[in-house]
Amino acid sequence: MDPGLISLMGIALAIGGPLISAAFAIIVCGTALAGVGTEKPELLSRLIITVVLGEALAIYGLLIAFMLLSQLPNITTIEAAYKALISGVIIAVAAVSAAAGIGYCGSSLIGATAERAETFSSNVIGVVLSEALAIYGLLIAFMIIGQI
Amino acid sequence: MAEIRKLKAIILEGDVDAVVESLGEKGLVQFIHMPEKLEVDRGVTVSRIVQTEALATCSDLLSKIELSFEHLGLTSEGPPSEVVLITDEPVCDVLAEVEQELAKLPVETLSKCLALASRIDQMIEAFGVKPEEVEVKQVTLEKPIPDVLARVERELSEVEKATETTDLTDSFSLMQRMKNLIIQDKIDFGSRLFGLRNSVTESERLFIEHLLTLRQLISAVSDSIGLETELEEIRKKLLTLRKTVEKEKGIAREEEKFVKSAKTIYFEAWVPEYNVSEVTERIKKVTGGNSIVADESPARDDKLPILFKPVPSYITAFEKLVYAFGYPSYGDINPIRLLAITFPVLFGIMFADVGQGAIFVIIGILLTLYRRRVNLEEVGDIVQYLLVSGEMFVFLGISAIFFGFLFGEFFGPSGVIHPISLGRIGPFYFGGFEPTHEPMRILRFAILVGAIHTSLGLVLRFLNEIKHGHHKLAPIPICWLWLLWGSMFMWVYWGGISNISMWFAEGNLMLAGLIVLPLVLILGFTARAEGFMEGIGFTVEVFAETLSHSMSYGRLMALGLIHSAMNYMFLVLGGVEHGHFPIQSIPIIATGTILVMIIEGLVVFVHTLRLHWVEWFSKFHSGEGIPFKPFRSTQ
Repeated sequence: MDPGLISLMGIALAIGGPLISAAFAIIVCGTALAGVGTEKPELLSRLIITVVLGEALAIYGLLIAFMLLSQLPNITTIEAAYKALISGVIIAVAAVSAAAGIGYCGSSLIGATAERAETFSSNVIGVVLSEALAIYGLLIAFMIIGQI
Repeated sequence: MAEIRKLKAIILEGDVDAVVESLGEKGLVQFIHMPEKLEVDRGVTVSRIVQTEALATCSDLLSKIELSFEHLGLTSEGPPSEVVLITDEPVCDVLAEVEQELAKLPVETLSKCLALASRIDQMIEAFGVKPEEVEVKQVTLEKPIPDVLARVERELSEVEKATETTDLTDSFSLMQRMKNLIIQDKIDFGSRLFGLRNSVTESERLFIEHLLTLRQLISAVSDSIGLETELEEIRKKLLTLRKTVEKEKGIAREEEKFVKSAKTIYFEAWVPEYNVSEVTERIKKVTGGNSIVADESPARDDKLPILFKPVPSYITAFEKLVYAFGYPSYGDINPIRLLAITFPVLFGIMFADVGQGAIFVIIGILLTLYRRRVNLEEVGDIVQYLLVSGEMFVFLGISAIFFGFLFGEFFGPSGVIHPISLGRIGPFYFGGFEPTHEPMRILRFAILVGAIHTSLGLVLRFLNEIKHGHHKLAPIPICWLWLLWGSMFMWVYWGGISNISMWFAEGNLMLAGLIVLPLVLILGFTARAEGFMEGIGFTVEVFAETLSHSMSYGRLMALGLIHSAMNYMFLVLGGVEHGHFPIQSIPIIATGTILVMIIEGLVVFVHTLRLHWVEWFSKFHSGEGIPFKPFRSTQ
């Protein structure tokens, strides 16, 4: 297969996977947030963290896709092309796993905080740890791109 | 942080309302909920049941007042005409007085008046006749008002019944029906019907006249009691009454926290040290000396409320960030001032850009200037947040400018500024490189910043343990620091994580001394203080946290690169090369800057917040403190 085509598939995965993940996380948390906002608007400012962390996933994908795009002229061998593809797969999988965590923990966090605001500080751990998964994937994808 | 004292008092049951009232006047104390601690007293004291009754009466009165508002069609907003009615009297007496006052108000007459007037108006409208066209003789009020109202109501019902049975309100269709009869049937029969039709019109006129007379009567009644002025007065009175009841309800609710023993009431309260003498004096004065008041230092296991000193206005935004997570526990170091330094630093690393930093500074200054002109209460929510964060924008902007110079960013890696190096320690470079070209250097820098940040948290944890007198737990943060910097040293010494196999071969002694030993010590210290199983759990936690939290600071590099890459995208689109900005690139760069500053700025902000809330606060800030909320009887 043509190395250019393989790397393009990597780029598509790198942007597509995180976009879908971000959408999932934002849809789940955003709707929960809207519901809580009608009852306790004073909590919105700190609960917005769930939606923003969801959105960050899309930006990670954008970064990897952009870096692959700028590397495209250097990708001539099939080996380099596979590296590009795999870095795309890594960020996509990492973003999907993070989105699942953010979506479920985030919506539960929002509900729980509305009920008992003092539980926020311990419950937020679930959301931020899920989000850390994406960072791990991002770092590895980054290092692979660095080796192209 | 000022000291909190625990106040204990015994007073007579009769004085209790006055005492609460007097202490609540200025918001001096926070009462402790005693019935929760009843079992400690072993039956000496019992909880008070009287208060439930008072609370029920309060709710009852409040709903009555609300109902009156509704009947009279008045708004229940606005300030009361006078300050609260009665003070210094027992709750029950005040409530009884309010009930009397409420009964005195002519709510019923007025609401009847209003209801009748609207009923008559509706009927007149149903007839489709303009009231001006019919002449009515003047009426005068002779009988007492309730009789007049009763009469009007009776007559109105009669009129209503009459119109319903004759279908008179629908007179047009009646006429039509008669007209059809006239044409179809014989003429003489028709002429009689014609007469009938006239009489219908006549009776319709009579009804209208009657109705208008009634309407006039009602108006006269309204005038005689001065409806318009009266309504406003009643509204104010009702508001006052409502406020009184609400205040008494507050007092009754606070008194639920007390316990009684025979004829005396016992209560405990948190009092700031500087208020103790005033509180004691007030209790003595109100009770006429029939009281025992003592204050003592709180016990170690008491969950104390915390008094917060107001912070200077330029760090209020950071105060909000800390308290949004949770209040520091009693005696803990309040990290607001430190956060005001570390927060901009971490933000600046991720948002390094001279140009955009300068825009942040300008926005911050403008917001700060604007805030002095407007009343914060009057603006919307989001504007209020922005105005409060004016100075924070300046801090963030300055930090972004600083790191922008280190990494050579001016609206992205445009080449206008060359990276300035501050030096280098081993593999760690402090500036002097472009992050997009040297991602590993920025990653190392990020991890180093993370280690310093974490160490700061651990030092704070150590100080907190010392302040609390937890000497058994105090060595743990020290061992943790040892572990953290030991692993950092090993990472650097053996040339990066790819040579980790050498840690277990040539470097096994170093591994034992720098990583295994501190972990064993942590296990030992925790086991001694809290038990063996807790020790194992905590040691595993420390090991995992050291690893994952350090990795987590990798986001400083990731988001910094994202920031740089997003800006680079717009630079490429605008055709900027080697620091030369063509004219046509300006709108693209401007759009890009706005986009980056809003979306990316928000993401970076939240990540900075997250690094503080999770990685930093988990070391020393539990967020489980309770703020001191004194009881106030007046708003």
